[in-house]
Amino acid sequence: MGLSECWKQLSWIYYQYLLVTALYMLEPWERTVFNSLLVSVGAMAVYTCYVFMPQHIMAILHYFEVVQ
Amino acid sequence: VCIKNVFSPGNGVASRPQKHEPFEQAPMYVAVMTYLGFGIVTLFGYLRDFLRAVGLEKCHLAQEREEQKDFIPLYQDFENFYTRNLYMRVRDNWNRPICSLPGPVFDLMERVSDDYNWTFRFTGKTLHNVINMGSYNYLGFAENNVDFLKTVADKVNQYGTGVCSTRQEIGNLSIHEELEGLVANFLGVESAMIYGMGFATNSMNIPALVGKGCLILSDELNHTSLILGARLSAATIRVFKHNNMHSLERMLREAVCSGQPRTHRPWKKILIMVEGIYSMEGSVVRLPEIVALKKKYKAYLYLDEAHSIGAVGPSGKGVTELFNVNPTDIDVMMGTFTKSFGAAGGYIAGKKELVDYLRSYSHSAVYATAMSPPITEQILRALKCIMGKDGTTEGLRRIHQLAENTRFFRAKLKEMGFIIYGNDDSPVVPILLYMPGKVVAFAREMLERRIGVVVVGFPATPITEARARFCLSAAHTRDMLNQVLHHLNEVGDTLCLKFSRRKYTSRPDLCAETNLELDS
Repeated sequence: MGLSECWKQLSWIYYQYLLVTALYMLEPWERTVFNSLLVSVGAMAVYTCYVFMPQHIMAILHYFEVVQ
Repeated sequence: VCIKNVFSPGNGVASRPQKHEPFEQAPMYVAVMTYLGFGIVTLFGYLRDFLRAVGLEKCHLAQEREEQKDFIPLYQDFENFYTRNLYMRVRDNWNRPICSLPGPVFDLMERVSDDYNWTFRFTGKTLHNVINMGSYNYLGFAENNVDFLKTVADKVNQYGTGVCSTRQEIGNLSIHEELEGLVANFLGVESAMIYGMGFATNSMNIPALVGKGCLILSDELNHTSLILGARLSAATIRVFKHNNMHSLERMLREAVCSGQPRTHRPWKKILIMVEGIYSMEGSVVRLPEIVALKKKYKAYLYLDEAHSIGAVGPSGKGVTELFNVNPTDIDVMMGTFTKSFGAAGGYIAGKKELVDYLRSYSHSAVYATAMSPPITEQILRALKCIMGKDGTTEGLRRIHQLAENTRFFRAKLKEMGFIIYGNDDSPVVPILLYMPGKVVAFAREMLERRIGVVVVGFPATPITEARARFCLSAAHTRDMLNQVLHHLNEVGDTLCLKFSRRKYTSRPDLCAETNLELDS
């Protein structure tokens, strides 16, 4: 029961996303293109954060002389 | 029938409370998302155009023959970018074929598309009893009751259906003269003239009234027929902000003081063109103030009552009755019979000299075919019904029913939290949808729930303000309205359309609201 409700909620959120970005009017292959572009850009952003965030945080802490 | 006396004729213009006409702004994120949606569709439009140009995709549009590819292009490519890439994708929401009378409920033919709306085919099924919220059927005269239409059938027997001539040549039937007399009587003016087509009434008569050396001050949101007529006349056109009296007064002063652009000679005529009810906003013109301005600066007034004649006012006489303005103050009164009378055609009414002049000098009077006899009889019977001349109170009942429906529907919509535009008295109710994706989804969802709505988007409205326009009718029963409201509530929740940030109580506010400052 909880799973089907969760699925319904997710599918409603996906519907809202389609409406807001006007993907609702586009054909399925165009939706795939746009979604894959978005997912790949998002994945690249997350990966960059993961790789560089520790260095950036260390640099900030070093600047504010919290750690030597 | 309990008639609330909100429309009681006051002692004068000043005593009547001006109804508050809010044009509520949506939150900022809505505008951002609308632009985002349009941006994405435009990008994909460029992509598809590229694919079509390269040849990877079949082009469904009109193209020149191979031998003519070197010539000057016949089909303008970029001009219909929007039509090709946005409208074509979703055009199953417009031009839906109706196979019954456009009354309060109607039947639609079901059609599907296999190639994303480039071509359609009919499945053969009919959708019955779809509630009609889009027809301009304000008083419910689009009916096919045999008793009511008996006089129309008699006239077809007497006159046939075609007139086969123009009014000026040999097409002036006695039934036309009778209708013109009745229209003049109804409006309270000296004389009137009728034409076969409402759009042509505006576009062909304005060139006869003004010419080069005249000034036209037209409202921002005027209908295309008025704009076309103004352009055809070769007069100078200046546009003032919608319903904004400060803007209009400033333009009038400047026109009277400076005169024509280079020579500074005085203008031959200054004509102010406004509409009674604006069909895309549902807002009502500020008639008393415009009449005061016109008298002060000695300008002429052209009032287009296409949507308001028969639909507003305690006895259906339009905005002049709503605001208690003397009809002789308005120089040219124009209206159409398409909306409240269930027929086709238009009229121009005013002083006898004006109408006699138009009979000989207007293009529509001289060249256009006269109005067909059954249509003329339909307007006659509708007018007699509204005026009460057929001996029943049916007309008055319908007008009151329309007013009740309007008030009820608008109050409920505001309560639910939708953003709607327009005056509380106007039977045209636009619900703002803003985003292009939601516009299309709204139309499809409502059709699935057996309600037919009209949605309008970019070229007819500003780009961020796409809307669904509901036209109420005296033929809608309370049940139908409740059903529509129930479905609207559900669809509003599913699609997140309730953008309004105001708090409305469920009691209707009957006390006079103070007239807040004019929109500047």
